[in-house]
Amino acid sequence: MAHLKLTLLIITLQLLSVTALATEQDLVVVVNINNPTSQMTKSQVIDLFMGRYIAFPNGEKATPIDLIDNNHIKRFFYQNLVGMSLARVNAYWSRVKFTGRVKPSVKVPSEAGLIQHIQSSPLSIGYMERKHLTKQLKIVYALNE
Amino acid sequence: MNKSGLLIRLAVVMIFSSLAVGFISSQLFYRFTYLNEVDNSKKQIAELYKTVSATASIAAYLLDRELANEVVEGLATNGVVHGALIQFDKEVVSTKLTNKDSIIQFNLHSPFEKGRIVGHLSMVPDLVQIEIKAKKIGRDNAKALFAQAVAATLIAIIIVYLLITQPMIYISKSLHKIKPGTSKRLIIPDFHQHSELGGLVHDINHLLSNTQQQLAAEQELRDELKLLEKRFRMIFESSQSPIILMEPRGSILIYNHAFTHLLEKINLDIKKNFGALLSELFIEHESLVQNVRVAFANNEISTGEYQLISSSKDRPMWVQVVINSIVSEDMKEYYQLTLHDISKRKKELEKLNIRANYDQMTQLLNRHSGEKKIEKLIYNKQAFVVILMDLNGFKEINDTYGHDSGDEILINIAGILKNSVRHDDFSCRWGGDEFVIILTNVDKEAIRTIVKKILLKIQKPYYLSIHQQEVSVGASIGAALHPKDNLDMLGLVQMADKAMYHTKQSKVLGNNLDITFADEVHD
Repeated sequence: MAHLKLTLLIITLQLLSVTALATEQDLVVVVNINNPTSQMTKSQVIDLFMGRYIAFPNGEKATPIDLIDNNHIKRFFYQNLVGMSLARVNAYWSRVKFTGRVKPSVKVPSEAGLIQHIQSSPLSIGYMERKHLTKQLKIVYALNE
Repeated sequence: MNKSGLLIRLAVVMIFSSLAVGFISSQLFYRFTYLNEVDNSKKQIAELYKTVSATASIAAYLLDRELANEVVEGLATNGVVHGALIQFDKEVVSTKLTNKDSIIQFNLHSPFEKGRIVGHLSMVPDLVQIEIKAKKIGRDNAKALFAQAVAATLIAIIIVYLLITQPMIYISKSLHKIKPGTSKRLIIPDFHQHSELGGLVHDINHLLSNTQQQLAAEQELRDELKLLEKRFRMIFESSQSPIILMEPRGSILIYNHAFTHLLEKINLDIKKNFGALLSELFIEHESLVQNVRVAFANNEISTGEYQLISSSKDRPMWVQVVINSIVSEDMKEYYQLTLHDISKRKKELEKLNIRANYDQMTQLLNRHSGEKKIEKLIYNKQAFVVILMDLNGFKEINDTYGHDSGDEILINIAGILKNSVRHDDFSCRWGGDEFVIILTNVDKEAIRTIVKKILLKIQKPYYLSIHQQEVSVGASIGAALHPKDNLDMLGLVQMADKAMYHTKQSKVLGNNLDITFADEVHD
């Protein structure tokens, strides 16, 4: 019963985010324009950001770039990608880190810094608002499609 | 205690049945508990899965062997789980697993995508532990049941002893002391006035009363029978006539004193069997058997007179034999023989017969019976000769010495005739000094020889002792042959008479013929 309630709550929250936030937050996952990867599935994106794989589908080592906490874009990104609040995402990481096998992603303080990082590193991957897209970047996954 | 007594039987049955029930129930409990525990362990394992699924999912998701190992090891420490296994992306992390048959498998989902299966968590329930537990519960239950059964048996034995066995022993002992036919009765045991035992005692008493009545009635009947039997015995035993009951084959079943007495008279000892119908005792037993057969065939009682075998010839014994066939209720046939001694009557009859047929003085057949015998020979178409003899000189002796002397002469001549003829032939006094001799199957030659012999004896001088005087007589003889001379008696006698006259004449004429045959006489 508790499980069902939780599921319903999550679904409601997701619906709310889609309807309320989608218009102002149109997020995309981007890589360097020179990165051979052109398209990724949601699972591939999750696997990279949640530490399952540390490589692109073609096998090249990937460096996920994340924003620091208290960023509404970051909150929106995780909420939409894995359906979790940042607190829960952090809880996950703290648990995973304890085993010492996975290293969390590189953290930058702002969206601008993140764009800068990806434009200079062809094996980086990160998320940003579509409206801030540059010519050095390439969309591999769009959150709201 | 009685080996097959109720108590022992009850105890044996109850102990065996409680053992059986204990055994079966312990098996059932074991089985039931085992299944229940297996079910329980499955539930517990499901709970365990819920508890560890988050961590296990992460481990599978991150392909983290160490984390997976941690989860698996943690699970294995739980008493319910024998071993655990996590499997993801071609990798397997597990504890030692021996029994993979009862493995329970759960899916591990990605922590971020609910529908995505990233691996499996499998657990094996600790069946050995469950089995031990189930066995222990089953055993405990069996022990409890056995203890209960023993207690129940003891209680039942005590109750049965007090309520049934003891009163029954009492009843049985009392019953042993009671003799049927007496007025003694059983006493109903305490507290059993309305129980089945009480009913039983009541019924037994009823039966005893009935028996007493019946025995008394039977005794009365027996007494009556005894009296009746005594009277019958009196009739039977005091009967002057022998009475015998025998089987058709001759086995004597019962006989009275008169029969033994009769046997004594004919010098025989009593024995079991004198042949069928006592035939050994009778001279003409064949005719007895024949007569009885005819009588029985006509559904009649056989009656006849038969002479008994006897050692003394001059005292013949005759009995009238009455034989009755009796068929008993069980369809067996018996013969009842009653013998009446008729010897005396027979003797008198014999005497009468002799008086009627014989000449008193000479003891030869008289004329009447002689004629009858001749008639019989003619009837039988036998060849014979009638020899008529007339004494010469008898009248003179009679006149001179008196009738007594004449009679003496006649008796002497009768004796000569008796001794001169064969057994089958006979002679008779025809009247006065006339005699007739009948010889069968003889020719003239033989007749002449016999006649000559007779004449020689007759002509021999006879000594009259009273008168101390010798006298002699002669005889004239004529004969007629049957069937050659004549066919009827009167004719034969007349012809013989004529021939005799011819002989007499010859003596006067000096020819002195011994005998003249009828065919030698010519008118």
